[in-house]
Amino acid sequence: MIDVQSIVKAFDTVKAVDGVSFKAKPGEIFGLIGPNGAGKSTTIRMIMNILSPDSGSVLLDGHPLREDDKNRIGYLPEERGLYKKMKVADVLSFMAEVKAADRHAARKRAGEWLERFDLSDWRERKVDELSKGMAQKVQFIGTVAHDPDVLLFDEPFSGLDPVSQDQLLTAMLELKAAGKTVLFSTHIMDHAEKICERILLIDHGREVAAGALSEVKARFGTDAARIEFDGDGSFIDSLPYVRSTRRFPRWVEVELQGEDAADRLYTDMAGRLKVRRFELLEPSLHSIFIRLVGAERSGNNADREALNA
Amino acid sequence: MRKLLAIARREFRATAANKTFVIMTLLGPFLILAVSVLPGLLSNTPGALNSGKPMAMMAPNPMVAQTLAPALEAQGYASVSFDDAAAAKEGVLAGDYAGFIEVPAAWPDEEARYYSVSATEISFFSGLEAILGGLATSVRVGQAGLTQEQAALLNLRPEFSVVKLGAGGEEEQKGAEDFMGILFTALGFVMLIYMTVLLYGQMIGRSVVQEKTNKTVEVMLSSVSSRQLMFGKILGLGLAGLLQYAVWMGMATALIHLIGPAMNVSLPASISMANFGWLVLFFVLAFFLYAGGYAALGAAAEDEHHLGQLAWPLLVFLIVPLVLISPMVMNPGSPIVVALSYFPMTSPIVMLVRLLVSTPAWWELALCLGLLAITVYGMAVLAAKIFRVGILMSGKRPSFGEVLRWARVR
Repeated sequence: MIDVQSIVKAFDTVKAVDGVSFKAKPGEIFGLIGPNGAGKSTTIRMIMNILSPDSGSVLLDGHPLREDDKNRIGYLPEERGLYKKMKVADVLSFMAEVKAADRHAARKRAGEWLERFDLSDWRERKVDELSKGMAQKVQFIGTVAHDPDVLLFDEPFSGLDPVSQDQLLTAMLELKAAGKTVLFSTHIMDHAEKICERILLIDHGREVAAGALSEVKARFGTDAARIEFDGDGSFIDSLPYVRSTRRFPRWVEVELQGEDAADRLYTDMAGRLKVRRFELLEPSLHSIFIRLVGAERSGNNADREALNA
Repeated sequence: MRKLLAIARREFRATAANKTFVIMTLLGPFLILAVSVLPGLLSNTPGALNSGKPMAMMAPNPMVAQTLAPALEAQGYASVSFDDAAAAKEGVLAGDYAGFIEVPAAWPDEEARYYSVSATEISFFSGLEAILGGLATSVRVGQAGLTQEQAALLNLRPEFSVVKLGAGGEEEQKGAEDFMGILFTALGFVMLIYMTVLLYGQMIGRSVVQEKTNKTVEVMLSSVSSRQLMFGKILGLGLAGLLQYAVWMGMATALIHLIGPAMNVSLPASISMANFGWLVLFFVLAFFLYAGGYAALGAAAEDEHHLGQLAWPLLVFLIVPLVLISPMVMNPGSPIVVALSYFPMTSPIVMLVRLLVSTPAWWELALCLGLLAITVYGMAVLAAKIFRVGILMSGKRPSFGEVLRWARVR
């Protein structure tokens, strides 16, 4: 279990991480989410002891990280990098070697992962020759091939095509099922929504929302509707129970507030527009993210405080 | 330890499986040969570079002709006598003769001339001038009415020899060739240490900078400590360097024991197995000393260009002995040379030269090696501290002074 206790890290005068606490447990996927520059990577680097926190502590299974513990951890840094002149197979066995892993077992596992990611033919090729996405998958394999208990993935999906993203999601779910502690960071809410049990949303180094995904949704989520219609729908914006609208080319997403808002919207529209579609949306992490982070960005903290109240 | 060895092994492979490394390893001895043995070889065997063509000569004075012919023989030239200067010059132009020496009958009152197509064979024609100079004295003395024997006696140089006193009081005569032999051997050895230490130091610095530019450093530090990373790299490259030296020493041994005697080439006495041993020892010590420095600066540097800027203080210490090589060989006992042979940053090179030229006392060697060992250790500790801070730093270009201050970061 990773136990992060109110860690703080400042670079010069900027507080990159400011009192963040959370626990990530075995057998679950923990999502560290937040916009760019929120302090996600700095937090993960402090967990990995690559940076040391100015205050607060990080405990792994109840004790501070020891040198030996590194062997139990797989870390995929945000800034990917492999030795370019080495062959894929050599890089993978080197990565397992510096984790003091059993050579044969690690090689076997790496082989299975390569097979799975359709990279078996690239085994004897140099890293230089791989595409960016392939190199990233090789690096993922290097992160898991020594069979660590704890996995830290910093933005694991960035730069991958949808098929590879899906492969990675499946792989992460399997790692979770195998009882590993999986922690990953992302600013893409869809991914977090698909696989996370629990999340921590941070912005400007501070916790904005935390807890089980369902709780966060229940607490911060709002009703929304997606509507398609013919006619002039500009009056919708000024309806009292409409918090905001977003106009897409083929539909409008309306964020609602208050009791019965959806019913009232439906009846109000029915008289004035030709409604082709009316769909109630489940509150998405994405919209929560936009609202919580966006509120901060627009300098309107009242909105956030109201939500937190 | 296992991790450190894994890093060392990777570094060793990345270095030794490189084409440049193989070429350097195989060509290195020829380079050393070129700067150390070849000049000695050439000065011992005059005419080694001769074209093999005879020398045209026109000397109506029989005494001149009798003296010149054997002197030319000694230089490896057969001489062909001419009566017609124009024909001789034509022969030189046609490439039949290496050159044409014209000593007129009225010589030494008229000037003698040497013709050749290049007129650059200075060692030959200055030798010729010296012979003619001696001859001119004899001719003039003869004209003054002295006998040939008296004239010869006047020309005779008094004998003078230089004797090297060994540590046990043994005496050994030394000539100018011996000096040249020592100078060139010293130059060869110093160049070799200088180049390899510089090369391997920079390789380490580059290898560390590349961890940063390739972004592999975070993955590495999530698996090993910064110490393991740094010393693994130094060890790996050090082993590559030792492999290179082993190949070179093997080739040198073959040269001394097999090829040299077979070709009947006398090597300078300073090229001996004992001196090779010292060479390897001082290379290893100098390597570890500078490797730590370069690793620390590599970690501090933003890119390879910045590394070059940071590393100049190390370079200065490496260059100083190189510049002083000739005075060091001529005055191995001077206080500056002795001091530099104790000062750890320069001692590997300077003490090596002292060992080649003279016989330092055992306690001097012990002092030099002891100080060097302590400094190597100190440098490693300092480098590890700087490395730890620098390796994760990015986006800044610290100065040399700032880098040194990192050593105090706890």
